[in-house]
Amino acid sequence: MTTDRGTVRSLDDPNIFVETPATIFDAVPPYPPRTEREAEFYHLRDGEMLLNLGPQHPSTHGVLRVVLKVDGERVTDLDPVLGYLHRGVEKICENGDWHQAISNCDPLEYVASMFSEAMPVLAAEKLLDLQVPRRAEYIRVLCWELNRIASHGLFMGWLALDLGGLTPLLYGFIERDTIVEMMAALTGQRMLFNYLRIGGVNRDLNHDFLSRLGDWMGKAAVELENEAKLLNENEIFVRRTKGMGTLDREAALRLCVTGPNLRAAGVPYDVRRAHPYSVYPELDFDIPTREEGDSYARYLLRIDEIRESIRIIDQCLHEMPDGPIMAKIPRLIRIPPGRAFISVESPRGQYSCYAMSDGSDQPFRLRLHDPSYFTLQAVGHLLPGNLIADSMAVMASLDPIMGGIDK
Amino acid sequence: MEVKTRATGTKAVAKPSEESRVITAPNDDLVEAIVVENKLWTPTNPNAYGGLQPPQITHLRAEEHADKGDTGRWRALDIIPTKADYVLDLIRLNSLWPLTSGLACCAIEMMSAATPWNDMDRFNMFPFRASPRQADVLIVAGTLTTKMAGPLLRLWEQMPEPKWCVAMGDCTCSGGRYKRSYATVEGIDRIMPVDVYVPGCPPRPEGLIYGMMKLQQLIKERRGHWAERNVGPTVPDGV
Repeated sequence: MTTDRGTVRSLDDPNIFVETPATIFDAVPPYPPRTEREAEFYHLRDGEMLLNLGPQHPSTHGVLRVVLKVDGERVTDLDPVLGYLHRGVEKICENGDWHQAISNCDPLEYVASMFSEAMPVLAAEKLLDLQVPRRAEYIRVLCWELNRIASHGLFMGWLALDLGGLTPLLYGFIERDTIVEMMAALTGQRMLFNYLRIGGVNRDLNHDFLSRLGDWMGKAAVELENEAKLLNENEIFVRRTKGMGTLDREAALRLCVTGPNLRAAGVPYDVRRAHPYSVYPELDFDIPTREEGDSYARYLLRIDEIRESIRIIDQCLHEMPDGPIMAKIPRLIRIPPGRAFISVESPRGQYSCYAMSDGSDQPFRLRLHDPSYFTLQAVGHLLPGNLIADSMAVMASLDPIMGGIDK
Repeated sequence: MEVKTRATGTKAVAKPSEESRVITAPNDDLVEAIVVENKLWTPTNPNAYGGLQPPQITHLRAEEHADKGDTGRWRALDIIPTKADYVLDLIRLNSLWPLTSGLACCAIEMMSAATPWNDMDRFNMFPFRASPRQADVLIVAGTLTTKMAGPLLRLWEQMPEPKWCVAMGDCTCSGGRYKRSYATVEGIDRIMPVDVYVPGCPPRPEGLIYGMMKLQQLIKERRGHWAERNVGPTVPDGV
């Protein structure tokens, strides 16, 4: 049937209609293999088939698409397809000034956006060689650790959800909503805070925030233990996570995996300790590590990290000095030309930024290094050999966030 | 039967014969299989993908090539709204089943709306379904990129009628903070009809629930008259 114009919208530009039906849900790409790897992957041996997972799938944590090559119920190989959430953040940052870059970087790691919005802030401060007031530093650490707990709380729920249990998700969201409502009292927003500023923070602590925080701190440790009880010794949970997706120490280092996934493999690397920033050197906390490197170890390690974060918050509240929350800087900043590399420890690992400034009020280049992207590389090593259902659980235990991966 | 051309001056004689009384099926284009030839490459296994033969499923061809405009969606189904729809719409608005189609940040707030703090189930918005074939409402939560536009449109077309669409967040309403990006669709109403817009970056869960309650009100007001609803692109091109 031929018509004047095509009947199918183009994938590149939805305003254009094209004639050929796009095979968007076909696992096999509509072009000949471009690399040896593609030729090998899309050549099927006896008994193998391709299974397209995503981009809309409730357990891919966003819009990741994975083409699985399965033999029966076992995954033998996989080919991830990225870019379904590529929003061009780095390019947008170059077109706005440094202050706008803060809010543009916010939605990258949307579960813990206080970390991704710190990227242009810390880079500009390093280029300016700016001394941030100590009260602002303590407030930043307080917010970072609160956000880390919210992120890890969601992780507990998602991991259990991918294993088929809904209840831990409800508990995880209670914890997360308590924290983000608290942060909303401080920053004015629940998710994309836009709170950090070059030279300090936006607002000082207020009564609403502190009273909510005090209420929560009184019961946080107890509630954490209660929630951990739901899963820690649950037989189904333990059987489906213990020994699954074991990432050994050499492979993790070779793949540039950082954060809890690396520490669960036995490498005690934490940016807060290895390359201290802000006021972390003054605070007393441990870097929990585990030796096993499997899904269960990654889960337990995150619970340990929540405990450490509660310790840090407690110290922040007790040692927070009085004083200004913003350094004295002009409203229109021209960052001196140069290059800076900064990194923070986000809930998913080392979140880094390589910034270049040409002396104008706009960043010349803001290269963002997201830990989720490197974590996702490990998926290709961990999934083959597992059942399809277990591969979802392994992917959930690595906790990637697609917003940061596709940028 | 003689047939002569007009130039010779004799009329064409057409007598009813046995063959012409038999009503033959018109040569409908829709019945013919649509074969997209794969000229680009051939798999190593010649029997793979059904030996590159056209699929045998033909009953959806008519819908596939019908007018995809908003008014055309009802035409394909040949439904005349009756009094029964007044009652059925009351049932539908009190059990809206949304599709879990989280795209980006707003998805977290959408999930938060379904969990204990803001329990959406209280307001008859029932559990999130993972399959478009079981869903009534498509909540587009998060930035829609050009690469994701095709799959999302396919999801929308897979949902059975009657169906509604809620645009959640600034990115889906108008492009939001990524309006100037080279990779995003500036508002999903450029590619699909939208019933309710929920602005915010991201909107609070209460905002989403309010939008869904507005949708219930909208279904109630227009019950029995789905085809007359006025939805579609509201933002002119170039804005």
